[in-house]
Amino acid sequence: MKRFVTVLLAVAVGWLWATAPLAQEDMETVPNDAFTSPQRPPAVFVHDAHNEAAGIDECNRCHHVYREGQLVPDESSEDYRCSDCHAETAADDGMPALMGAFHGNCKQCHLELENGPVMCGECHQRP
Amino acid sequence: MHAIYGWVTGPLTWIAFLLFFGGLLYRLVQLLILVRRKEPFIFSYMSLKYSLRSILHWILPFGTVNWRLHPVMTIVTFAFHICLLVAPVFLMAHAILFEEAWGFGWPSLPDVAADWMTLIVIAGAVFFLVRRIVRPEVRFVTSTSDYVLLAVVAAPFVTGFIAYHQLFAYRWMLVAHIVSGQVMLVAIPFTRLVHMLFAPLTRAYTGSEFGGVRHAVDW
Amino acid sequence: MAQPAKSEAKQIVDNGIEKGAAGLTEDRIQAVINRVIKGESGARLKVYVDTCVHCGLCSEACHYYLSHDKDPRYSPVAKVKQTLWEMIRRKGRVSVDFMRRAAEIVHTECNLCKRCAMYCPFGIDIAYLMMVVRRIVHLLGMTPQYIQDTAHSHAAVSNQMWVKPDEWPDTLQWQEEEARGEIPTLRIPLEKEGADIMYSVIGPEPKFQAQLIYQAAVIMDVAGVNWTMPATAGWDNSDMAMFTGDNEVMGRIKREHYETAARLRVRRIVMGECGHAFRSVYDVGNRWLGWRIPPIPIIHAIEFYHELLTAGKIRVAKKFKTPVTIHDPCNVVRGGGLHRMARDLAHALCEEVVEMYPNCEHNYCCCAGGGVINCGPPWKNKRIEGNRVKADQLADAKIRGAKVLIAPCHNCHSGLEDINHAYELGLDIKFFGDIIYEVMEKPEA
Repeated sequence: MKRFVTVLLAVAVGWLWATAPLAQEDMETVPNDAFTSPQRPPAVFVHDAHNEAAGIDECNRCHHVYREGQLVPDESSEDYRCSDCHAETAADDGMPALMGAFHGNCKQCHLELENGPVMCGECHQRP
Repeated sequence: MHAIYGWVTGPLTWIAFLLFFGGLLYRLVQLLILVRRKEPFIFSYMSLKYSLRSILHWILPFGTVNWRLHPVMTIVTFAFHICLLVAPVFLMAHAILFEEAWGFGWPSLPDVAADWMTLIVIAGAVFFLVRRIVRPEVRFVTSTSDYVLLAVVAAPFVTGFIAYHQLFAYRWMLVAHIVSGQVMLVAIPFTRLVHMLFAPLTRAYTGSEFGGVRHAVDW
Repeated sequence: MAQPAKSEAKQIVDNGIEKGAAGLTEDRIQAVINRVIKGESGARLKVYVDTCVHCGLCSEACHYYLSHDKDPRYSPVAKVKQTLWEMIRRKGRVSVDFMRRAAEIVHTECNLCKRCAMYCPFGIDIAYLMMVVRRIVHLLGMTPQYIQDTAHSHAAVSNQMWVKPDEWPDTLQWQEEEARGEIPTLRIPLEKEGADIMYSVIGPEPKFQAQLIYQAAVIMDVAGVNWTMPATAGWDNSDMAMFTGDNEVMGRIKREHYETAARLRVRRIVMGECGHAFRSVYDVGNRWLGWRIPPIPIIHAIEFYHELLTAGKIRVAKKFKTPVTIHDPCNVVRGGGLHRMARDLAHALCEEVVEMYPNCEHNYCCCAGGGVINCGPPWKNKRIEGNRVKADQLADAKIRGAKVLIAPCHNCHSGLEDINHAYELGLDIKFFGDIIYEVMEKPEA
């Protein structure tokens, strides 16, 4: 259950992206502009449709908040960008690097639920 | 698709790597036992200095008379083998999968570089295929297994290339890529692809004989 | 693909192969092949066969391949395919005809010169694989007649040419007498225990090249060497049993050779200008008998003459005038690294040395060695046809001025004489000994 939450939280990180350039309801991909040189096309992600289909109501399923390595259950972080916390390269404090955070939030959840895309090109679709 | 993906990236991957590493270890141990039992003198002729001397010349493009005699073959075979080893090991997607499974990864190549290397491997395989058919001295000693082995090696690169560019049937292509890669890994210890393990050893022995006993060069 | 009708047209019949083939059954063939492949052979055979990727890069190493306009059947790997691969694939169940062809391939289409081992990127020793097949051929009794006869001679009288025990010291005394005409005090010391050097030769020297013993005696005498020759068997260092795969006889005659030197308590064995004998006493026989290196140091004539010259024990009175070229014999160059000394020697003795190309370790084989010339007259023309590339190489050296061809190996000598004659090259073929004898300072008679 705990992992389940973590995973959803991870999904939520995706949303964070949306706050800056786009309104969440218009979002179609997860922006990858925080990467110095992104290797793949941005991951396809339609925020509202995804959450509707996945039955996610709580923002912090994905937009999690960790303090001193502990998940803070009642807070959420949709006003931040993922990259505000997750650096592009992993730090020593155990905080996942940005790409790891994305993959952890999306792919791991999909793997555990056996639902949703898990192969590289299923999210990183070429136009 | 989740079930298939889970199966090929899970148990099948385990089996492939176990057979690959286990197989290589088995072949090596089997070889050493055979040498010890039947030709123990080989150990007494092995010389580190002359082994390395010989290997060094032969892993250097144009480092030997025969490499210089076949310039095109030399360039192709070196490019092919280097890319064949480097591209999969330093591919970002592979490193990510490894990191997700084991918690640590390694630096990887930009996708563009890996993409070109893949093309080089495929082009090299095509060259080898054509050479096998066109050159009489190669065709004479070619059997079906040679074509099969070439296909086994080329398959993960062809499928990987198609999957990466999402040209068609992406999901199935990725599964084909993973499975063909596993087939190649498993084939290495148990087919002539074992030259990956044995070639340095045969080279070392010949180098030792030439250097230590015959006082001559073998390149 | 080249399918030369001409060599197909004339089937060569070898009595030795035919006689062996006559009594063979497939059961017997299978039993022998499996005895050798599974029983006697080990890691080398297995690894060489399992590692070869059939790339064909060994082809250009082979003089047979090059001489037959790159006919793929003559490439080194093709010879393995036509013999061993097939035997392994069929688990030894091959026909008598297959073995007849296999015997022909390994005995008359490969000189075991090991040039291909230098061209295979993996360093696969194809000559060794050919020897494995020769062993099978031997155990089936299919060895070509003429070389089998020399192997019989080795087995019966411990020398290659049926030289009888009394003929040997007779010949030495005859040559001593001859040489005393030139140097009255000269001796060929027989059975001198504790001498520094035992001088050993191959069977053909007493049989029909006795002047070589004469020359060697003069060189030894002038150089003041403390030397001896045995009066007993063990004097012949040559070894055709080594090339027929008759390892048992090979080991026995090598043991006799070393033991003779040990009995005479010499410090070193110096051998005449022979290549295959060098291989047998320096590399092969010692291993069969369990020595990593020869139990008594073996010095080839090239090394010995080099030593005498640099030590000033023999002096050049007047350098050899005619331009020479050097043929590098496989067994002492690829097998002993003596090409540098051979060049030093040639330059010290001769005014002009013209290199032939390729040279040193990469020199083309004479096509006589590895027991091929010893397969005798039936195969002579095939041997000469199989080495056109050598004729081209020599012709090129001749165009650049060479008139004398130095070949410090008996087999090379005989093979090159045939090439020289058949391709009308007009070279004068000599041993180093011939030239030293001619140019050295000798005491006034």
